Amino acid sequence: MSATLAKGISAFKEVIDAPIASFFSSCVHCGLCAEACLFYTETSEAKYTPIHKLEPLRRIWKQEYTLLGMLGKMLGLSKPVTDAELAEWEPLVYDSCTLCGRCSMVCPVGNDITYMIRKMREGMAASGHAPEDMIAATTRAINIGSPMGVKWPAVQAQIRHVQADTGIDVPVEREGADYLVVMSSMEIINFPEYLSALSRIFKQAGVSWTLAQDAFEATNSGIQIGASDLAREIVSRIVVAAERLKVKCVISPECGHAFTALRWEGPNLMGRPYGFEVKHILEVLDELQKAGKLKTSGKDKRPLTYHDPCQIARRGGVVEQPRRLLSEIAADFREMSDAGVMNWCCGGGGGVSAITRAEPLRLQAFKIKKRQIEATGVQTLITACANCRIVLEEGIEHNHMKVEVIGLTELLAQYLVEESTP
Amino acid sequence: MKHAQQPDILPGTVGEGLAQRGITRREFLQLCTTLTALLALPPSMASAMAEAISKARRQSVIWLSFQECTGCTESITRSHSPTLENLIFDLISLDYHHTLQAASAEAAEHARAAAMKDNNGKYLLIVDGSIPMGNPGFSTIAGISNHDMLMETAQGAAAIVAVGTCASYGGIPKADPNPTGAVSVGDIVKNKPIINVPGCPPIPVVMTGVLAHFLTFGGIPELDAQGRPKSFYGETIHDRCYRRPFYDQGKFAQSFDDEAARKGWCLFKLGCKGPVTYNACATTKWNDGTSFPVQSGHGCIGCSEANFWDAGPLYEALSMPVSVTPSMLGAAAVAGAAAGAAITWHNRSTKAAAKAAHKKVTVQDLTREEK
Repeated sequence: MSATLAKGISAFKEVIDAPIASFFSSCVHCGLCAEACLFYTETSEAKYTPIHKLEPLRRIWKQEYTLLGMLGKMLGLSKPVTDAELAEWEPLVYDSCTLCGRCSMVCPVGNDITYMIRKMREGMAASGHAPEDMIAATTRAINIGSPMGVKWPAVQAQIRHVQADTGIDVPVEREGADYLVVMSSMEIINFPEYLSALSRIFKQAGVSWTLAQDAFEATNSGIQIGASDLAREIVSRIVVAAERLKVKCVISPECGHAFTALRWEGPNLMGRPYGFEVKHILEVLDELQKAGKLKTSGKDKRPLTYHDPCQIARRGGVVEQPRRLLSEIAADFREMSDAGVMNWCCGGGGGVSAITRAEPLRLQAFKIKKRQIEATGVQTLITACANCRIVLEEGIEHNHMKVEVIGLTELLAQYLVEESTP
Repeated sequence: MKHAQQPDILPGTVGEGLAQRGITRREFLQLCTTLTALLALPPSMASAMAEAISKARRQSVIWLSFQECTGCTESITRSHSPTLENLIFDLISLDYHHTLQAASAEAAEHARAAAMKDNNGKYLLIVDGSIPMGNPGFSTIAGISNHDMLMETAQGAAAIVAVGTCASYGGIPKADPNPTGAVSVGDIVKNKPIINVPGCPPIPVVMTGVLAHFLTFGGIPELDAQGRPKSFYGETIHDRCYRRPFYDQGKFAQSFDDEAARKGWCLFKLGCKGPVTYNACATTKWNDGTSFPVQSGHGCIGCSEANFWDAGPLYEALSMPVSVTPSMLGAAAVAGAAAGAAITWHNRSTKAAAKAAHKKVTVQDLTREEK
């Protein structure tokens, strides 16, 4: 068993569906998507035009699914897709696309280019043209349980830490709890504040929740690399655990693509509706605040801004919630240009942050974010995605900027009114 | 202090005529302001227009009626009194118009000859009705064929106004199979400026507006590609229709007496030709600004457009095909369905084969052997 060109071509044929066929046939070659892509605007290289990244897939569609294309193929007028070509396209489909979805927003004919890139990655992965680093991460996710190699004992260590710090008992494997909390491995390793903040907020709000031993990892490398079979295996761990524990809702953590994987792709991968809801942590916090269960006091006096993670705002629709939450605790909130659904990506989503060789390109693309942050004049940047946070911190470090990045949940917990245990 | 400054009233001018009829300068200025607005001229032009018109000698006008139904004349003369339209008629000297003139036979034709002689090169020729090019006997006046009368009268005209869709584009007489060989004025008169004022009939104020423009500026207004004044025919009925918001929301009446029709929803699906019809009905309206067809519950039939009579069924939505026969349509549908089925079958089998070839991907499948 190994990846071959034939498998890749077959996968391309398999992923071409009615939306893709109509997108390709309605593309008017206007090039507007280029201006929406940070890899194009920051490099001015035409090859980073989003629709161009799909060229091999477009040719397969044309040759296999259109009358003229079939004739052209028969007469040898159109060149077949080759390994060499796919190898050339690998950096375009992976390194320079964060699946941020900004191109899909500007397409005048409504083509969801991001959807097509996601599908194209299926053929790229099947033909062995996925970046090595992503293959390694996916292998760890399948074999170990987490793309960063995190295992349950690491989470247990975290739990003990939280319990020692806050005195709050972190519930594990509690059947019948309302919420199942899952995390990204970055939150387990890099940002332990998240679990601590969540425990305190949920205690104050009286939320019944639990962690699951076999489903603590929310990220899904299968989605990023483009291997639906593996993505299904990863997402099913959470689905099985949630249904075993009979929770009403699974809370997607401060991680962009985990939300996409769980909320949007998951039921399609499983081929059935879930028996529970999926909400992003910001949606849950917003609901708690609306219900008066999230009490804060005081406001952060630092000027601060909010970076909308693409998968949460643009692709996920969670735009108003962080603003409502911030309005309660921020005295000087400054909106970034293009904030909300048109926000610029941090440059590391869609698996790009895992690709080592993409780092110089990623840092170049970060210039747009740098300009955006500098225009607001703040030194405190709030976000709600651990991956955005790491990529932002790297970019900030690289550019010697004096900006601190904080997760929104964590900031919220700092202003929590903690009542004495009743 | 209302009339502190009286205009100079010269004998024989429009100003004198108006003064005789007891029309004050204030009323006259109001008329000019309205016309200025309708013609999309700057507001400052109102007083200039008043000056120009009141000092002008009454313009000699010859009105010829050919293959027509007299609807255009009805439209202009049946306006409610006292309106701009009536006033405007005091501004011109209508020297020949067989429906309106008292004279008949020899005397009538004499009036036309006299007007042509006295005002050679200066008179305005208004034509309603199309001109039969088949047998000249299809339509004659005083034994003169329509063609000959038009060509003779056009010779000394300063400009020609083709009133109504028949004179502008041939109209209903030209409708398929066009038994009389009807043509428009513009089809046969090539050496004179022609203003087309189409409509079946045209709106009275559009007529008077064009005349006022001619009197004020001594020339013809800016015209569109079909020879119509842009100030009145610049936008479609649809673009100015008060029911447009319903169209934008996809709210359509499905029949003339359904709930949606009673609620005043868009009549597009009932055949309204508003989207392709350029006219001022939706803005100036009819009968003293009372209403217009769409407002009364009937779609626009597109009467100010060339060949509107042959442009498909009046009660079929614009998106319906018009030029093909049912059998052609049937054959095309069968051929299309067959081609569609064939390509669908092919594409389905391509995709099914790809699906069948799909073996569950494992992590080992992500790496190439030679790598």
